[in-house]
Amino acid sequence: METKIFLCEEDMPRRWYNVLADLPTPLDPPLHPATGKPVGPDDLRVIFPMELIKQEMSPDRYIDIPGEVLDVLRLWRPSPLYRARRLEKALKTPARIYYKWEGVSPPGSHKPNTSVPQVYYNMKEGIERIATETGAGQWGSALAFATMLFGLQATIYMVRSSYAQKPYRKSMMQVWGAECIPSPSTKTNSGRAILEKSPDTPGSLGIAISEAVEDAATHDNTNYSLGSVLNHVCLHQSVIGLEAREQLASVEEYPDVVIGCVGGGSNFAGISFPFAGDKLTGKHPATDIIGVEPASCPTLTKGLFTYDYGDVAGLTPLLKMYTLGHDFVPPSIHAGGLRYHGDSPIVSRLVHDGVIRAMSYHQSEVFEAAQTFARTEGIIVAPETSHAVKSVIDEALKCRQSGEAKTILFNCSGHGNFDMSAYDAFYAKTLVDYEYPEQLIRESLSRVPKVG
Amino acid sequence: MNTIGFLINPVAGMGGAVGLKGTDGMLAEAVRRGARPIAASRARETMELLKGAPFRYVTCSGPMGEDVLAAAGISDFSVVYRASPVTTAEDTRDACRAFVDERAEMILFCGGDGTARDLYDVVSDTIPLLGIPAGVKMYSAVFAVNPPAAAAILLSGATFPLHLRDAEVMDVDEEAYRAGELRARLYGYAKSPYLPGHVQGAKRVFEDQDEDRAKAGIGRFIAEVIRGTPEILYIIGPGSTTGAITRALGLEKTLLGFDAVQDGRLVASDLNEQGMLALLSGAARVRLVISIIGAQGSVLGRGTQQVSPRVLQKIGTGNVIVVATPHKLAETPLLFVDTGDRELDAAFGDHLSVVSGYHIAQRKKIG
Repeated sequence: METKIFLCEEDMPRRWYNVLADLPTPLDPPLHPATGKPVGPDDLRVIFPMELIKQEMSPDRYIDIPGEVLDVLRLWRPSPLYRARRLEKALKTPARIYYKWEGVSPPGSHKPNTSVPQVYYNMKEGIERIATETGAGQWGSALAFATMLFGLQATIYMVRSSYAQKPYRKSMMQVWGAECIPSPSTKTNSGRAILEKSPDTPGSLGIAISEAVEDAATHDNTNYSLGSVLNHVCLHQSVIGLEAREQLASVEEYPDVVIGCVGGGSNFAGISFPFAGDKLTGKHPATDIIGVEPASCPTLTKGLFTYDYGDVAGLTPLLKMYTLGHDFVPPSIHAGGLRYHGDSPIVSRLVHDGVIRAMSYHQSEVFEAAQTFARTEGIIVAPETSHAVKSVIDEALKCRQSGEAKTILFNCSGHGNFDMSAYDAFYAKTLVDYEYPEQLIRESLSRVPKVG
Repeated sequence: MNTIGFLINPVAGMGGAVGLKGTDGMLAEAVRRGARPIAASRARETMELLKGAPFRYVTCSGPMGEDVLAAAGISDFSVVYRASPVTTAEDTRDACRAFVDERAEMILFCGGDGTARDLYDVVSDTIPLLGIPAGVKMYSAVFAVNPPAAAAILLSGATFPLHLRDAEVMDVDEEAYRAGELRARLYGYAKSPYLPGHVQGAKRVFEDQDEDRAKAGIGRFIAEVIRGTPEILYIIGPGSTTGAITRALGLEKTLLGFDAVQDGRLVASDLNEQGMLALLSGAARVRLVISIIGAQGSVLGRGTQQVSPRVLQKIGTGNVIVVATPHKLAETPLLFVDTGDRELDAAFGDHLSVVSGYHIAQRKKIG
């Protein structure tokens, strides 16, 4: 009766898994924001290194992980898989709950799984500085960690409301030598334009992305890096699910249910794509894969599946994805990492095709779930992760009712040690349950760009 | 801001402790039942916190102001109104007129709904009102949550201009209230100061706590919905938040009444129950847009008597759009619906989605 299931370092995955290879038809291509034509590698060279552009468009099922990247990942990988026996007991469920604990990385989340290879490829191509955005600060700190390791500089545009809510994330970035700027800022044209229109804006990921992209596009030595949404990010995160599948196999398990929280989709892709691949190829056709998002920013559950910009200013390529509209500024919930109007095109496509299903929860109920988790398993999870925990608890309670002993796997994507102000608000009962008034928004004018 | 008119209704709240549900016309009975004045001690709590603040007060003699200021150690005040030995509503109004003559920039008062109504009769929305709560009923939204909060709001005005918002003044029929029935009428909208972010904690200042901007966001959103659904008739309830919607459509709205709008055009103004029923009989689809009224989270039933159960049944509870600014919602832990028909009330369920900004709503519990 083990509580933690480990893999040896030598059993670490040596290749990333690319779910694009197992889609029945190719993904709709990203379109150039000016011409509306599919973007080619050259369009992306302004802000991305060639190797990542190749990965973004690669049809290969597996892609080798470079040795220097593996050497860094070894600092915390393979991450442990836990059996949540105490949670099971508290819920009186016959379900077996497993969680992959990504909070063991130095920045405390799954994010360095992709920041490390991204910075590595940029370093290889002679780039000196990376500009990026961060919501809650998990991505920013992960990028700061990676640029420090490979000797690059980093400029991180942090969504203003999180910058105020989570000051210690900013401190971490400083320790690892990065510059962290609240967004919108006066450093970029897009930031200045937003500030002029709404000086008190809480900011959003969409706005911060515009700033970072502009910074990268206007400086020769600087590239842009994105912590979620894009195909190569989902690819790098696949190590989570690949390891989990091995770890479960070592105790003769395969999940009936796989759960992760979804903002841009990267941690969810990480845990679920290897299992989605098994589902698509008929090896395990019945796996129930669930992406969980906030009710205040319900991209997958209430958005439109269409082409939209990835940022507020409309600088990025148009992506075919579920979207709430690129000008939607999600309310300032504490799960800042889930405040994104769009979603990974691959996750979107899999939801659209019914391979994955999505659900949403309110802020106060997910903190209730996070408290249950902290009081059984001990870990105080990040507000983002608490969405997954809530769904896990609901699925396990369903098992209690039906008597089914399902195997539930979820990605415990990060710790909440810098999110204590959010927990304080939960206990002070000042959390606001924001909603997305879908019907009314549909009736008002659509702001999604018309394409094709 | 320099000059503050300061007034206490010395008898406010006295009826409450002895079960009279209000003190209007019932003072003798309250005293006979052993009621003791409470307004002075409530006001003193606020004023002691304001000692040393750079304000000048104009006030009334004795228990209507002067005594409390002196007891709180405040010396920069002048008595501009001599109160009668037994104070009445007329004293409140006369004192208020004297404050206006002395160019008071704010009126700080200690009392209840009745006091607020009397002051509003004189100043309307020309001078902001801030209440220290001491009355039996406080359905009006001009009151600070407690005496220290009133001081905190004013102190914030010592260094920066105060944020002002529209606050409902409610007129509660005390006779009916004593008989166990709450009949509240929306009396008007006063200006009242507030602290943005005060309720949500300092870290949350990025919520859109600015009332005017939040209202404009709500107005723009619902105006787009109205334009996007020309087949639907919209009945728009009283208030300045709903007023932002008609303003976004370029229409004039009755502040305290119900107006009807369709396809961006004003169809009817200041509708009563009969007028609504007549309109409803000819319309295929109707929606009601209302804001939360008063300090108690009322959605229907207080100040919205025109929407009778018959009217609401015809509209359907699923066709009600509730709007309110984030600040109002932060001050309102629970909503309540009291249409006069229990079944209709129950049809709203346990929660309401309240539109609180552009493309944003908040889920609020119905208590």
